[in-house]
Amino acid sequence: MAEFTPQNRTLISSAALARPRGKRIYWTVLTVVIVVFTLVFVGPLYWMITSGFKSVHEVVQNPPTLFPHDPQPSNYHTAWTQLKLAKLLWNTFYYAFGALAFQLVFDVTAAYALSKLRPVLGNVVLGAMLATLMIPSAVLIIPQYMTVLDLPLLHVNLINHPWAIWLPTVANGFNIFLLKRFFDSIPNDLMAAAAIDGAGPTRTLLSIVLPMSRPILGVVSIFAVVNVWKDFLWPMLVEPDPTKQPINIGINSLSQGVPENVLIAALAISALPTLLIFLLFQRNIMSGLTAGSLKG
Amino acid sequence: MSRIRYRRLVAFALVAGIGLTSAACSDSNDKKDDGGSKTSSNASAGTPLDPNTKVTISVDCMPPTTKKPERKQWLDDIAEFHKTYPNVTINSKDAFPCEETDKFTAQLQGGSETDAFYSYVTDLQQVLDAGQAADITDYVNDKTVPNLKDIDPGVLDILKDNGRLYGLPTTNYSMGLIYNRKIFQEAGLDPNKPPTTWDEIRADAKTIQDKLGSKGIHGFFEYGAGNQGGWHLTSALYGAGNTVVSDDGSKATFNGPEAKSILQTIHDMRWVDNSMPQSAGKEWGESQKAMGAGQIGMYLAAPDDIQLMVQQYGANFDDLGMAPIPGGKTSLMGGNDYFFKKSDTPDQIKAGIAWINFKFLTLKKGQFNYARNKADGIPVGLPQPFFFTGQSKATDTADKTQYATVPVENYKSYVDAQVPVKGEPPNAQKLYTVLDTVMSGVLSNKSANVDKLLSDAETQANQLLAASQ
Amino acid sequence: MAATTVPDKTTRRHAGRGTAGPKAAGGRGGLSRKLTHNLQAYGFLIGAIICFGLFSWYPMVREFIMSFQQTKRGVTSWVGFHNIKTVYHDPYFWTAWKNTGLFTLYALVIGFAVPFLVAILLNELRHARAYLRVLVYLPVMLPPVAGALLFKYFYNPEYGLFNRILKFFHLPTSQWLDSSHTALISVVIAATWMSMGSATLIYLAALQNIPGELYEAADLDGAGLWSKIWHVTIPQTRLVLSLMLLLQIVATMQEFTNVFLMAGGNGPENSTMTVVYMVYQYGYRYNNFGGAAALGLFLLLVLVGFSGLYARLNRNSD
Repeated sequence: MAEFTPQNRTLISSAALARPRGKRIYWTVLTVVIVVFTLVFVGPLYWMITSGFKSVHEVVQNPPTLFPHDPQPSNYHTAWTQLKLAKLLWNTFYYAFGALAFQLVFDVTAAYALSKLRPVLGNVVLGAMLATLMIPSAVLIIPQYMTVLDLPLLHVNLINHPWAIWLPTVANGFNIFLLKRFFDSIPNDLMAAAAIDGAGPTRTLLSIVLPMSRPILGVVSIFAVVNVWKDFLWPMLVEPDPTKQPINIGINSLSQGVPENVLIAALAISALPTLLIFLLFQRNIMSGLTAGSLKG
Repeated sequence: MSRIRYRRLVAFALVAGIGLTSAACSDSNDKKDDGGSKTSSNASAGTPLDPNTKVTISVDCMPPTTKKPERKQWLDDIAEFHKTYPNVTINSKDAFPCEETDKFTAQLQGGSETDAFYSYVTDLQQVLDAGQAADITDYVNDKTVPNLKDIDPGVLDILKDNGRLYGLPTTNYSMGLIYNRKIFQEAGLDPNKPPTTWDEIRADAKTIQDKLGSKGIHGFFEYGAGNQGGWHLTSALYGAGNTVVSDDGSKATFNGPEAKSILQTIHDMRWVDNSMPQSAGKEWGESQKAMGAGQIGMYLAAPDDIQLMVQQYGANFDDLGMAPIPGGKTSLMGGNDYFFKKSDTPDQIKAGIAWINFKFLTLKKGQFNYARNKADGIPVGLPQPFFFTGQSKATDTADKTQYATVPVENYKSYVDAQVPVKGEPPNAQKLYTVLDTVMSGVLSNKSANVDKLLSDAETQANQLLAASQ
Repeated sequence: MAATTVPDKTTRRHAGRGTAGPKAAGGRGGLSRKLTHNLQAYGFLIGAIICFGLFSWYPMVREFIMSFQQTKRGVTSWVGFHNIKTVYHDPYFWTAWKNTGLFTLYALVIGFAVPFLVAILLNELRHARAYLRVLVYLPVMLPPVAGALLFKYFYNPEYGLFNRILKFFHLPTSQWLDSSHTALISVVIAATWMSMGSATLIYLAALQNIPGELYEAADLDGAGLWSKIWHVTIPQTRLVLSLMLLLQIVATMQEFTNVFLMAGGNGPENSTMTVVYMVYQYGYRYNNFGGAAALGLFLLLVLVGFSGLYARLNRNSD
């Protein structure tokens, strides 16, 4: 869904646009929109990438230069080696996909149990999970942090450990809500048929429910990865070790020690992986996101 | 320890509703005392580390990859240390800057600091509050730290609480004014006559702005955030002979005519003379970057900035001069040190002390290996640290003179002024956060109400001080 | 059995029994089968329950407890309403609320309206749609640190791009992040640039679902452009709009990252100090976690109000 169907009637009718005056206005607006949007959304990225090639002096030069006078690719090299960007990027992916794995396993099984197995007090559990949607995450930052310092009962300190990022992402009421709603829509007759064939709940989940749930799993996955990728305050608190920080935190804490042009080069490098992934898969990502958000 | 208590209280509250148990309190107090007596009853605490002892310690604040010579020296020093103590393994962690207040707090709360951990000397109270510092009184003597008798007692006192010692200093500084001699010359000012009062600073900054403003050079630079603004304002008040808190640490004392006049001067530099950048500093490092790039004439600083600016931000030694703090009544003395984690074993503490003694407190070794510093391009001759007295000071001065690589005469007025030093206030970092707001007020608001800024800050500071009593 | 707890649909109830049915049909062995079934179900739930317990439910309880406690020298004690009084009497308590309110207001005026208008505009264009959609979404893909620090450079009053452009056109320049008057709105503009892509896409999808006949009918009535937007577009997308509105309010009231990265946290004269930043400042600058928790309680009360509204609307949309 969410794909444009050109024949759709919108605010302004195609007939109105076909008239000479409508045509003129339309093409003017279209040109302006394309130019302005390109400037507004690509301009900053262009500035970032080219400034990464400039000398410290040229970065702050007035008026600014459109192209680097004397391109210094070494800035990118310096940024890559001195800020250890490879490590920071790797950490970010590690946290993001680890969080994804935990959410897929724990949240999917939980939503499945709540939707299809319906144990005693299942609805109480569901209610308690959905209630967390009412408590914004920022409010719980302090007690959550205290908890991670010393897990109740287990008395383990998770600071500087990936678990500190992975496990809290599982406690996501929104995931449970999305998944359970989707599972609810799977006809129970299918489940019953599987049960008659002698399939236990695990097999039913794996061979019937999951294959049917690809769209919602896609949405949950995108949210899982994007949330970790975008998070700032929490990883800053729980991953103080510079060698374990994700890219957002690492670059920010190292920003004070390097000249401006090197820092800008580092920003450009940090932006590259996701921009590339997005440009390659933009169709899937965007349709997945709109579908998911509308469902939510 | 707090965590154990939390657990109890939570469990208790959950089971019996919210209630208060005095038993829990006394219980944990006992525990704490137990921990204390265990360390102090260790009979062998005062002997140096047995070189055969196999022990591993983690240490932070290793110079980062962006500081190549310092990092190389650190690694070389560990190798040399290994020759004496082959069984001691040192795990170094790098960071830059070594301490940021917020992260440091988080670290203490989490108990995730290294076995020997770097801090500002102002942090002792916070470290003790978090219950993270080991009492090292019994470990430190003239066998473990041979130069102990020559370390300025005033510096050690900052690291003591109730007569017990918790940390070893690695450097100390006294605040002054760093200025760009080249810019002074170009603006027609005498680089050998730096300003000594705020009025002179304002006049010189204006001259610089008028002459060189078209080149993007500003006269003066100041911070409005990141605890830097508060730190500078405190330094300025010390220069005027003021204090920021009362002697018993219970009341804020910064709100007075001196503070008003200093802030008004800064405000006027920013808004009347336009002799300051339009953007106030927000994070540590901005003034150093700007001075290194030759964009500002003066700012308040500690001498080690000179080294940083030359090595990291492209400044020349010849261009940088250092003058005493304006006002010249007292100068804020700060510094850095290493504390030892409460959970360290006695051997870890001994190994940590041995390493810090070797790296930071032994003449001709580690940071005092001036011959090596000279060869590696690390400046020699800066007036910092200055915590040695007596024979050690004489040796140090002689060594420094022999290997000096920096134009020592550029710091003459700073050294000659002999401004008496004064330690930072208790709860310094909290107060700096509060005073940041005052600085940012005059720097970002043309119609700033200095009186209101100061009285609001006073209210807030008094609250914080009351909460820390 | 508990399989029947959902009261609404009998079909569901029937089918629910169907799942467990073949097993539960054993009569005498039913009890142990039920037990096995429940154990199995809780086996599936256990991972999520542990995570929710540790990182959501327990911290909620703890948030309350901490608000009434203080820790000094490793000793925690009950202090009653002391923490709450302390943060309430902080001279910047109301400043933080005012900023949070203003931030939310700006975020609504800019961050809420702009994506909707952009979506309406894009929906009318017959060309370059894919290109424009990609453009709008591009900044969403940047790591927050890149977007925030980039704007910090653009906003620099002296060498930043924005003032240079304004100067070029002989327009008045601004202090942007360096003045208490403009800092907050500067952060909102940057935040909108960074995140408007998602909202725009959602609105676009909603606009696509408006039946074309409604516009045709409006045309027949001789309605103008604004009238059509007001009488057709907005009512038809009302549900999505109201949900996004509430999501935006709840999200902006928790703002931290952008003010932290761009304005050094509290900003000039505390003009960007949001309540969440103040929580952070109490905890990690003042080392007063009790005070931080107490402040969090205030925030909780306000936000639960908004989330309650959100949940209600969400339920209505079901």
